[in-house]
Amino acid sequence: MSDTATLTDTELAYVQRSPIAPRRPPLAASGAIGWLRENLLSSVFNVVLTVVCALLIAWIVPPLLKFLVIDAVWDGASRADCLPTPERPEVGACWAFVIERLGFFTYGFYPIEERWRVDVFFALLALGVGWMAWLSAPRRDLGVIYFFIIMPVVSFVLLIGVPALGLPHVSTAQWGGVLVTIVVATVGIVVSLPLGILLALGRRSEMPVVRLFSVIFIEFVRGVPLITVLFMASVMLPLFVPDNWSPDKLVRALVGVALFASAYMAEVVRAGLQAIPKGQYEAAMAVGLGYWQTMRLIILPQALKVTIPNIVNTCIGLFKDTTLVFVVGIFDFLKTIEAARGDPQWATPVTSTTGYAFAAMFYFVFCYAMSRYARFVEAHVAAGERR
Amino acid sequence: MMQQSGSVRPGLKPAPLNTAVAVEMIGVHKWYGDFHVLRDINLRVTKGERIVICGPSGSGKSTMIRCINRLEEHQQGRIVVDGVELTDDVKKVDEIRRDVGMVFQQFNLFPHLTVLENLTLAPVWVRKMPKHDADEIAMHYLNRVKIPEQAAKYPNQLSGGQQQRVAIARALCMNPKIMLFDEPTSSLDPEMVKEVLDTMVQLAHDGMTMLVVTHEMGFARQVANRIVFMDEGQIVEMNAPEPFFANPKHERTKLFLGQILR
Repeated sequence: MSDTATLTDTELAYVQRSPIAPRRPPLAASGAIGWLRENLLSSVFNVVLTVVCALLIAWIVPPLLKFLVIDAVWDGASRADCLPTPERPEVGACWAFVIERLGFFTYGFYPIEERWRVDVFFALLALGVGWMAWLSAPRRDLGVIYFFIIMPVVSFVLLIGVPALGLPHVSTAQWGGVLVTIVVATVGIVVSLPLGILLALGRRSEMPVVRLFSVIFIEFVRGVPLITVLFMASVMLPLFVPDNWSPDKLVRALVGVALFASAYMAEVVRAGLQAIPKGQYEAAMAVGLGYWQTMRLIILPQALKVTIPNIVNTCIGLFKDTTLVFVVGIFDFLKTIEAARGDPQWATPVTSTTGYAFAAMFYFVFCYAMSRYARFVEAHVAAGERR
Repeated sequence: MMQQSGSVRPGLKPAPLNTAVAVEMIGVHKWYGDFHVLRDINLRVTKGERIVICGPSGSGKSTMIRCINRLEEHQQGRIVVDGVELTDDVKKVDEIRRDVGMVFQQFNLFPHLTVLENLTLAPVWVRKMPKHDADEIAMHYLNRVKIPEQAAKYPNQLSGGQQQRVAIARALCMNPKIMLFDEPTSSLDPEMVKEVLDTMVQLAHDGMTMLVVTHEMGFARQVANRIVFMDEGQIVEMNAPEPFFANPKHERTKLFLGQILR
């Protein structure tokens, strides 16, 4: 009180008379130095981390570059080109091997004169994925129909072949390489998304039978390793169906992978459903929408948007899990590399390493692309709705 | 029922006499587990009548009006809305929901749809109206709530008051016979309460049957035909605004009004 008493009237009342112009931040807080201080050297612990990381990079990157690029053999026709010689004691990656076997890695044993069908399938798939992934693409409703109905049917006819249409039959036993990996992953994703949504809705259903079925399915499939599911699909399924109707080996693996992925997808979608406030259901009911309309128009669009990162995460996991189909004798991409690296024609000390390096790059490119896409969608959703 | 004189509330029609019943609740009880939320509710609302429901929190006001469009199920008694009795029959429930509009405390707009899409969704999917006609009706009601320029925006880009007006317009687009308001101004910043109340007053002038749960006693005084005071799941007192405020009968009502009106 005494302080106030000593203040004059003009000090007591305050009126801002002119706006304060914005100023640049101090130099130490911006620019390259500011960035370094902020991100790399902000505390003793961070300085130590920065040094350790720099040392790690210096230790790993140069030899890797030396092997993969500098010492690598880019062209050649046989193992002789990739063997160390007195003039060239250090041999890096034998890319000549990968380049020569690229067709095998891509198509497996698919007949060479029919390989164009696989290329068309890849193109159809790329179109579908592009249509779905580009969020502001025109007619995405048609895109959904194309992706989930037209493309699978056309691809099936194209790859298996219909002699009546002039497409010779190609047994799935001849499929291999990238083709099989992509087919298994795509079927897994395309089936597991709708099936997972239905299972998630089922698990939250008020109908006890539907809920019980969903819970049992999800918990059973999630509680079993994928390898077990694949073995069961390839060994046990033939026991239940008549001999002459015994499904194709690849189809059995596809069913196993799709069911397995559905259970995981269901839990991802359920998490998204649970994030939607009760008020959204109530508002939808109050304007007279029925259950399926509410789900399709109000709940799922919001739930799927918030779970896109998790859905993509599941897809990445599924993509890598497809390598497990080799245990039931299917020639996926990794299996073709396994087969090729043992080929005496290319047997050198670096062939296996090269093959695995190529496989790693292949899986990394696909998974990283999916991961980047998930980030992009997240940013897009955040910007669109300002949540 | 006593009526206010026209000079106090200019332009408002008195509650119609001997007209059809809009909502009738007879001996309605409801429990949440063992908790008895609604106890023997008897309420008859005639068409065109405006009812304000007030009472302390937890008194069952919201639960009561949410029973009218079956967002909550009652376990005993009868509720008849516009001549249709509410039962487990899903078709009847849907029929009633089409004709009963509801405005929520938290707006509950659909955040992934634009304002216009929020308004046309139900007419298109529930009433099977052509998109073009639904757009026209939506713009008509957006004009009425005075925010036609926000049609292309998303709900989260609007202020609370604007969102609540959109929510009112969304309910009106279904051309409802009865409107339920569940504390429509309780989550608004003070300077936005008026714009929402003005919209509701305008609706009252148009002769809409309204049941409003609110603590806005000025609004109650201005438009209500009857005020219902609830406490502990029961209707404690029910009267026209003038005698309700001037001369509350029940101790609980006096206490409540003492707290709320200072």
